[in-house]
Amino acid sequence: MTSTVVIAPLLVALGTAILALLTRRVPRLQRALSVAGAGAYVVGVAVLVRAVRLDPDGRLVYRVSNWDGPFGIVLIADPLSTLMLALAAVVSLVAAVYSVRFVGREGQRLSYHALYHLMVVGVTGALLTGDVFNLFVWFEVMLMSSYVLVAFASDSDATRAALQYAVLNLLGSAVMLLAIGGLYATTGTLNMADMARRLADPTAFGIDPAPVLGLSALLLVVFLLKAGVMPFQFWVPDAYRAAPAPVTAVLAGVVKKVGVYAVVRLYFTVFAAAPLTVSLPGISGGPELGFLAFFGPVLFLMATASAILGGLGAIDQPDMEGLLAYSSIAQIGFIMLPLAVAATAAAPAVRTVGIAAALVYSVNHGLAKSLLFLAVGAAEDAIGSTRLSDLGGLTEVAPVLSGAFLIGALSLVGIPPLTGFFAKLLVFDTAVRAGAPLALAVALAGAILTIAYVTRAWNNAFWGSPGSRVHAAATAARTGRDDGPAVADGGHADAADDAHGTAGDDLATVASIADPVLVGCTLSLAVLLVALGIGFDPLYAAATDAAAAALDTEAYVRAVDPAIAGDAIADGGGTGGDQDVAEQLRALRGDGR
Amino acid sequence: MQPDAAVLVAALALPFVAVPFVPALFRVVGQRVAFFAAAVAAGSFGLLATQYGAHGAVQLPWIPSLGVSLTLYVDGLALLIGFLASGVGVLVFTYSYGYMAHEHGHVKYYATLLAFMGSMLGVAFAADLLALFVFWELTSVTSFLLIGHHQREDASQYAARKSMLITVAGGLFMLAGFLVLAFASGDTAAGRTFVLIGTENSLIANGEAVREALRAAGLFVPALALVAVGAITKSAQAPFHVWLPNAMEAPTPVSAFLHSATMVKAGVYLVGRFRPLFAPELPSVPEWTLLLATLGLVSMTITAILAVGATDIKELLAYSTASHLGLIIAGYGLAGPAAVELGAETGAFHIFNHAVFKATLFLVAGIIAHEAHTRKLEELGGLAGDLPIVAGITGIAALGMAGVPPFNGFWSKELLFETTYFVAVEHGGLYWLYPAIAVFGSVFTFLYSIRFLMLFFGDRPSGLADDIHRPPLAMLAPPALLAAIALATGIVPQLGIDAVVQSAFEASLPVAAEAHSLTLSIPKLFSFTPYLGMSLLTVGLGAVAYPFYGRLHAGVRWARAVDYTSPNWYYDGLTEGANGVSRRLAVGLHGGAFRTYVAPLLLGTAVLALAGYAAAGSISVDGVGAVPPVPLIVVLGVAVVGAGAVARAPSHIAGVLTLSVLGFMVAIVFILANAPDLALTQLVIETLVLVLFLLVLDRLPAYYGEIRSRARGIADAALASLVGFTVFATVLVATSASPEEPIFQYFLARAGVPAEHGPFFSDFGGGSNVVNVILVDFRAFDTLGEIAVVAMAALSVLTLVGMRAQTETEMAERPESDSADDPAATPATDGGRGPPPASADDPAPSDGTDGSGGVDR
Repeated sequence: MTSTVVIAPLLVALGTAILALLTRRVPRLQRALSVAGAGAYVVGVAVLVRAVRLDPDGRLVYRVSNWDGPFGIVLIADPLSTLMLALAAVVSLVAAVYSVRFVGREGQRLSYHALYHLMVVGVTGALLTGDVFNLFVWFEVMLMSSYVLVAFASDSDATRAALQYAVLNLLGSAVMLLAIGGLYATTGTLNMADMARRLADPTAFGIDPAPVLGLSALLLVVFLLKAGVMPFQFWVPDAYRAAPAPVTAVLAGVVKKVGVYAVVRLYFTVFAAAPLTVSLPGISGGPELGFLAFFGPVLFLMATASAILGGLGAIDQPDMEGLLAYSSIAQIGFIMLPLAVAATAAAPAVRTVGIAAALVYSVNHGLAKSLLFLAVGAAEDAIGSTRLSDLGGLTEVAPVLSGAFLIGALSLVGIPPLTGFFAKLLVFDTAVRAGAPLALAVALAGAILTIAYVTRAWNNAFWGSPGSRVHAAATAARTGRDDGPAVADGGHADAADDAHGTAGDDLATVASIADPVLVGCTLSLAVLLVALGIGFDPLYAAATDAAAAALDTEAYVRAVDPAIAGDAIADGGGTGGDQDVAEQLRALRGDGR
Repeated sequence: MQPDAAVLVAALALPFVAVPFVPALFRVVGQRVAFFAAAVAAGSFGLLATQYGAHGAVQLPWIPSLGVSLTLYVDGLALLIGFLASGVGVLVFTYSYGYMAHEHGHVKYYATLLAFMGSMLGVAFAADLLALFVFWELTSVTSFLLIGHHQREDASQYAARKSMLITVAGGLFMLAGFLVLAFASGDTAAGRTFVLIGTENSLIANGEAVREALRAAGLFVPALALVAVGAITKSAQAPFHVWLPNAMEAPTPVSAFLHSATMVKAGVYLVGRFRPLFAPELPSVPEWTLLLATLGLVSMTITAILAVGATDIKELLAYSTASHLGLIIAGYGLAGPAAVELGAETGAFHIFNHAVFKATLFLVAGIIAHEAHTRKLEELGGLAGDLPIVAGITGIAALGMAGVPPFNGFWSKELLFETTYFVAVEHGGLYWLYPAIAVFGSVFTFLYSIRFLMLFFGDRPSGLADDIHRPPLAMLAPPALLAAIALATGIVPQLGIDAVVQSAFEASLPVAAEAHSLTLSIPKLFSFTPYLGMSLLTVGLGAVAYPFYGRLHAGVRWARAVDYTSPNWYYDGLTEGANGVSRRLAVGLHGGAFRTYVAPLLLGTAVLALAGYAAAGSISVDGVGAVPPVPLIVVLGVAVVGAGAVARAPSHIAGVLTLSVLGFMVAIVFILANAPDLALTQLVIETLVLVLFLLVLDRLPAYYGEIRSRARGIADAALASLVGFTVFATVLVATSASPEEPIFQYFLARAGVPAEHGPFFSDFGGGSNVVNVILVDFRAFDTLGEIAVVAMAALSVLTLVGMRAQTETEMAERPESDSADDPAATPATDGGRGPPPASADDPAPSDGTDGSGGVDR
């Protein structure tokens, strides 16, 4: 069905960005608008999610400027895109609130809020669009905004990281443009649904699907680059270190997932339709697998490399942000792994489980990794460093923050009943159901590496003896709140003297060194991880719906089909057909000339 | 009697519900919060007691779409573990009041311990495999937190991480095993299920079909092995026993509770629970026995020997725990015609006996450490004079552990001997190794048990403090109560059997089997049997060997210092090796040199695309061999020369100028292709870029990086050629295609003004330039995005300039804030982070880690 609700989240985010730019002279109003805009975005997404659920087809379409697809640009919201949108909405709201306290005043006034919401615009557009060139545009929006946000601190590290980020991603953009140009030339269309329809029946449209495989492989590079899959992960560690914590949270939690979404959408919904026999040494597949016979092994190799090498790299990082960055590389491997298994699985049930596993894992990683980056940011805010050698003993001075971090970390490991457990469970289950012992072995090895780096981080940063910086922060927290309970035992007067001691008693009087708002943001995500785990049923239902939607190419095409799009309102839908389109076009050709 | 769902849920939920109250209560009542926790444990115990004799399952929905339920199953085995968890819980909480009086972190301690108790009850009663796994992993996590209770100590952190790595990793293998079982059950008539026992379509109820499905898929042994990995990591069986001695870093009540009586019992519980599924009644010895009985007996022997090498009383008890868990696993592992019932009896009875005497001994160890301020075996002795009651308690428990009649451990060990004997008689041959190993291992058990008992007798070492006080009542009563139970069970074993053991072992029998009543009593000892002979042989050999304990101790210490046979050596090698690999990997992958980032990206792209073209088979390509018109050849020739010149350009300026030659040639190609508007655009862009470049280049350093080695130059050239070829191939295949009905036809048709139209129309573009109409109408949405990009480019300049100014001011104002670490603080920080000092009076059992304690966290 067509509905204007589809474009609502995008307009909300865009409007917020513009308002944030216009109110630069009134910083207080600007910050309020930014947070309110993020809240409105959540509402917009919620309305859209509900509308999609209520729709009998589960797919809502919006034709921009009212031009019919495939000629104009079509936005389409289905369970897959709305699941990712919901993740984006939650993370971006939390991170927006966090930003107000975390980012320097001048930075906020200059451009932070506008750029932040433009990044959300890019994410939203990419998740909703049904047009590959339009997808390119939203990727550019995401890239440009995140480039500035990575460089935001403007010191030498941030500038260097942002330059690398921008250059690598611009290379990706060039590749994307090349691939999209090629796809247009070979299939004659840019609309995803139309492309799927044409690929499904290539002879009827005079298409040779053979070159499309290579072109789609070229396009895959861009999505994997966005997602940070090996060997396209090179921008990840430095960029995550350089960007402010809330930006990193959105980059790791949401922007990465756009890459995952694009892989699912294009390769399982669109390109999977093409009947093509693939053969390479070691790879072979009949026409029923199509392109996926090629992408399955490719994704498997990359997922394995990411999960193992990323996990290994995370173990001995000198700083928390680096550790979490490597962990992101590893976790994206876990997301790609079930997709790889699903790609080569013949049974549709296994394919559904595989995609659902990737989506649940995406949601888990989106929430958990954002939480961890925000927690580390809160610690940095108080202590001024994220180097493991400067941290230590955080549980003693920031117990709630530590608890939230622990929940996020355990969710990464996959400890029940957190969301991460079910994510890992589904990844394992995909491997078991598909009879893929190698995939199971990779998942197990990756999971063990996760335990290794998570426990190491916990031991070094949260247990152990508090370092001098932690003591200094504790002293500052105490003197900063002279009327607090800290004074109760009267022992604080000489605290400055023994701040470097190891007795620990001077710390006992500090309730928390971390900023309460920052802690609150972190905690809210922890609560969500617990709640979505204990009440996993709705998330699982949403993920299987999304997986089913991703695999139902026919329904996707039907929802956008140009033949029925024109008179959908008149006759309330219909099956349409290639015939109608051909006739319509022939008629048009006659008219136009 | 059917179990009552509400009561069961209440018993399980009570500890979890109590957790949030701990911090608040601690503020009010202080350390007496221990009694609150004990009351909670007693509440759970009481609730479970009402279910005594119940048998059956209750099903609660949890995640219906995933087929996961919160099925709880009550039978003798579940109740046995449940009573242990809550009953020992009461005693341990009470004991903690005395033990923890001078420790830190009470809130954390009691809250975690309560959560652990709830999780353990969950393990006991959950019949759905995934629900079981939830609680299983929660016990691992709470164990991690409790082992790391002394969180500033490196040894605690090392121990906590080690236990987490081993038990959680093992748990993941087990999870994979569960999924294999569920997968196999999907092929049976009963359908896919995670429910192990208690319902009509549960795995055990349809055991025959599930086993057949597993065997048909070749998954029987893998499933068994995966589940077994979970059990033996949790129950600290060789070679995964290494985490348990380190876990003694935890406060002693935790060791008594988690690491002897309950958590480590989860593994053996699982073995007992799965026995009916994997070890049905067969005429032959099942894989189950070959795997688990062998592993249990070997592990029992190895860890008993290691216990003799212990220097610390808790370390001794830790190895001993691993050894006794091996005995239980061996008991459950022995199946087949001769042992199906006896084995189950051994396992169930020893779970009970071991929990009772080992918890007692740990609590005693806590008293000794608390009062004598040392845990070193060599520094202790002759304590009976100071602690007479404790000596009596220890006597009962230690003799039970040694297997001396008529103490409680004797009875279950006797059952093991009996089982191994009958298996050997039935199957002969190599199976005689089972009784032989059982006796051999038990000799060491006898030895270390007596060694522990001798802490109270003999001479007082000179270094021992004179002022050894009697423990407070809160610390004395719990072990005394346990010792009383042990004594009663020893003298009248039928008491324990009738109370819980009979119904517990029945749970581990094959579904169809009829259980007979197990009867044991002292008069039975007066009729000689071969297995009674084995017991006597054990005690006799032990008594003969005890005078040589010192030499044996030294021998074991020498043997376990051998690197290649020590699991600790492998663990430390792997974890520390991983650190080294991690560092090298990070530097190797992300060393910071930009070219090393770009090259893999380009290579990956080219390989992926070309592989795609290759995999698709033949692609038709048009125009190969056709000769292009002369002007085009000239223009392209100039472009190629320009491209070559770019690569050789000696400076930025020359590079940009030659690059623009390329750009202008492209513009001419557009002209030749009848696209004047594109050509104009290209010319404008090319000119602008050239001018901008020249303006900016003035500010950049005027040199290029040098290609240092010839090999690198060749590699770069090859990569560049590959990328060029990829793009060439892509353009070639793209331009060769001629799809029907491309969408641009629609744009051509609709861009203009319709032939007949009113003042207002919306179905045509109404423009004269189709490109413009596409940009501002058909695809205006793209243009919106691009405008945003351009706006952000402007914003980025503003931001970078503004923020740089901001950062510079801040740096100028606070020079110290961004400088390196405060030099005064650095030594302190490093001191807390390095390896722990190997001082002699370190109470930690650092020997238990083969000298590696605390190096890697």
